[in-house]
Amino acid sequence: MSTNIVVKDLDLFYGDFQALHSVSLDIEENQVTALIGPSGCGKSTFIRTLNRMNDLIDSVKITGEVLYHGEDIYDSESDVIELRKRVGMVFQKPNPFPMSVYENVAYGPKIHGKSNRTELDILVEKSLRGAALWDEVKDRLDKPATGLSGGQQQRLCIARTLAVEPEVVLMDEPTSALDPMSTSKIEDLIDQLKLNYTIVIVTHNMQQAGRISDKTCFFLNGYIEEIGSTDQIFFNPQSSKTEDYISGKFG
Amino acid sequence: MEISRSTRKIHRREKTAKAVIWGLSALTIFILFWIIGFILIRGFYSNKEVRYDFTGYTEETIPLDDQHGVIFVAHSKLRIKDITTEDLQTLYTSPIRELNTWGDFTGQDIYCKPAVYLEPSEFNSAVQKLLLGNSALDDWKSYTVKKNSSEEILEYVGNTPGGLGYIPAEDAYLIDKKVQIIPVRDMVLQVNPSVTDIVNNRSLQAVTMDQLNSILRGDVANWNQIDGPELPLVLGLSSSINLSEQLDGISHSVTAMDSRASMLSFLEHTPGALLMSRFGDIDTHDFELLSVDRIERGRNLTLAFILEKPAGGDAGGISYFIINTLILIILTLLFSTPVGVMAAIYLVEYAKQGPFVRILRMGTETLAGIPSIVFGLFGRIFFVKILGLGIGFLSSTLTVTLMILPTLVRTSEEALKAVPKNLREGSLAMGATRFQTIMRVVIPAASPGILTGIILAVGRVVGETAILLYTLGSGYDLVRNLSSPARVLSLHLYLLFSEAVSFDRAFATATVLIFMVLITNLLTKKLIRKQSVYS
Ligand SMILES: Nc1ncnc2c1ncn2[C@@H]1O[C@H](COP(=O)(O)OP(=O)(O)OP(=O)(O)O)[C@@H](O)[C@H]1O
Ligand SMILES: [Mg+2]
Repeated sequence: MSTNIVVKDLDLFYGDFQALHSVSLDIEENQVTALIGPSGCGKSTFIRTLNRMNDLIDSVKITGEVLYHGEDIYDSESDVIELRKRVGMVFQKPNPFPMSVYENVAYGPKIHGKSNRTELDILVEKSLRGAALWDEVKDRLDKPATGLSGGQQQRLCIARTLAVEPEVVLMDEPTSALDPMSTSKIEDLIDQLKLNYTIVIVTHNMQQAGRISDKTCFFLNGYIEEIGSTDQIFFNPQSSKTEDYISGKFG
Repeated sequence: MEISRSTRKIHRREKTAKAVIWGLSALTIFILFWIIGFILIRGFYSNKEVRYDFTGYTEETIPLDDQHGVIFVAHSKLRIKDITTEDLQTLYTSPIRELNTWGDFTGQDIYCKPAVYLEPSEFNSAVQKLLLGNSALDDWKSYTVKKNSSEEILEYVGNTPGGLGYIPAEDAYLIDKKVQIIPVRDMVLQVNPSVTDIVNNRSLQAVTMDQLNSILRGDVANWNQIDGPELPLVLGLSSSINLSEQLDGISHSVTAMDSRASMLSFLEHTPGALLMSRFGDIDTHDFELLSVDRIERGRNLTLAFILEKPAGGDAGGISYFIINTLILIILTLLFSTPVGVMAAIYLVEYAKQGPFVRILRMGTETLAGIPSIVFGLFGRIFFVKILGLGIGFLSSTLTVTLMILPTLVRTSEEALKAVPKNLREGSLAMGATRFQTIMRVVIPAASPGILTGIILAVGRVVGETAILLYTLGSGYDLVRNLSSPARVLSLHLYLLFSEAVSFDRAFATATVLIFMVLITNLLTKKLIRKQSVYS
């Protein structure tokens, strides 16, 4: 097993407010890493540093290192577009683009220069199958994506991300806006995806973290309070705060 | 449970509020329908009282003597309902052929091409007397076409747009589908001066057709029954008039006169005398004609009005103006949409939100609220004079573009701002550049809003008059190049109205304008619906 992303001493500031305090974390290949912690502790902020989505916010300042395959992604030479191609992201609220199902999935490949129709067709089908959505949408590929149900939309967003053929998929609370049925579909999907992708997932749902992740990282007030294998965090937490949080005493 | 006092009070208040809201909305709807309905009804249906020197009684055959009569025929495409003998005289004696069009009578821009008999005959000289009447001519104008027989005249009239001719009544059986018989109005009214004297600051100006019908039936014994002076009404009738076709019960106490002298003396010596005679019976200079008001009803906006090309303000259709309006809309949108949307994209997506953008935004807001005539003034001085583009299509398009640009920027800006952040992030997270994201995700998502802005802009362009008055001129032609002066619907409407050319035409034009706006709205709504299913 090899390490995919290494985060070293990461500090992040929104203006004067420090949201992350010397965060260090290794993300292993083909594993699911869960980020848990109470609201406002910096999980989203952290996961967004991994594909430089925080660049979009003017006030953000970052120190420390995020090494992706050994290269610092915050280096001035680093190619953001290439990074985001390899480190994809799925958001909390499904955000399909205002186009057809097909076009949504083909969007990424198209902007990266693929235009051959048959190649695109194959890639779209593969990605939709990969997101366990193909059977449900294969007859309505040219219909607006906004006509899908919430859970289908979220899987479409996953398919869309897979179509770019990333190595890492970041998911920020991907099921928090969904019903239990859709949630369990996506959890099953994550189990599948783990074979081919490295996954980082933020979740407020302890059962979910316990079910699907290999490694769990507990954030508290911008610090990593505890980090370890999921079994260890859930069954044998070292910190009393971790224990309190997992057992639902706060958060 | 008993309804408590406070509940009852709340109920009462709610009921009052509901009544007020209901009343106000009903009022709004009523006003809306009333205005649009009024314009549409006037646009489609004209109903007006027109004052003539002739009575409204028409005859297909004008008697020349006891046995003979004449029938006037015209090309079948002419939209003519009837014509007065005086107008026929004008058409046959117009000094310049080029001025001789059907425009005044039918609204059609077609030259009148009169035909006459070549051979002098009793019939021909009788008609000649009827048509040349008081004019100094003693022979036909050179532009009249001479034919030898009724067949030839009918053939000529049937095959010549604008053709006009006459045939003896006994040849009526020769008439085919290619020509139509024009009913002629030949009867006029004259009165003894006592009838039109000013009494109590009022004098009788005209009678309506209804009043005239009553008079002929013998129902009016005194002029004061029809707003005239206190005078007994004495009716005299030229013996050549036979109204039995039009009015069944003519009063029997009518004096029928057959000589000019007897008519003249009747008019001169009988206080309260009313004489109905033929136009040619009596010299109109001796006694003034009493005007007749006729109510004319009929379709106003016709397909022909929409499709025909304009000929001055009072004849022809408005097809060119419609096309010009469409070209103006398309050109302004072509200029303004890319600029406006790009400016909005810059302001929303790229510009650093600081004082500079705030000032820009305030500027566009102010410009959006400035009356268009100010833009017209600017365009007149800047585009027409300083840039030397002259009055014409380019100057006006540029000025109108400037006028709608601020609105377009503002609405596009709002539309772009309303696109959720997570759509942008979704695209960026896949490695799209900012530009790709804007072009492929943000603009499509904002397009319903942008389109709404565009409809508003189209509405303003369609309704714009002030700017065009300054920069477009008022030619009747189709826009052929960018510097040609032209007319668009709203401007045409304004000019029709301000020059009091014709209210019928003004309302018909207004109706077309309303429908144009309606159609653009419907089309765009459809577009928006199609667009917004995606977002
Ligand atoms: N754009 C921003 N500007 C300023 N402060 C921010 C910004 N985004 C987040 N923060 C702050 O950073 C801290 C961490 O926020 P973050 O969104 O990472 O929390 P989170 O753990 O994802 O919370 P949640 O579980 O509610 O999603 C919070 O205190 C938040 O107020
Ligand atoms: Mg979050």
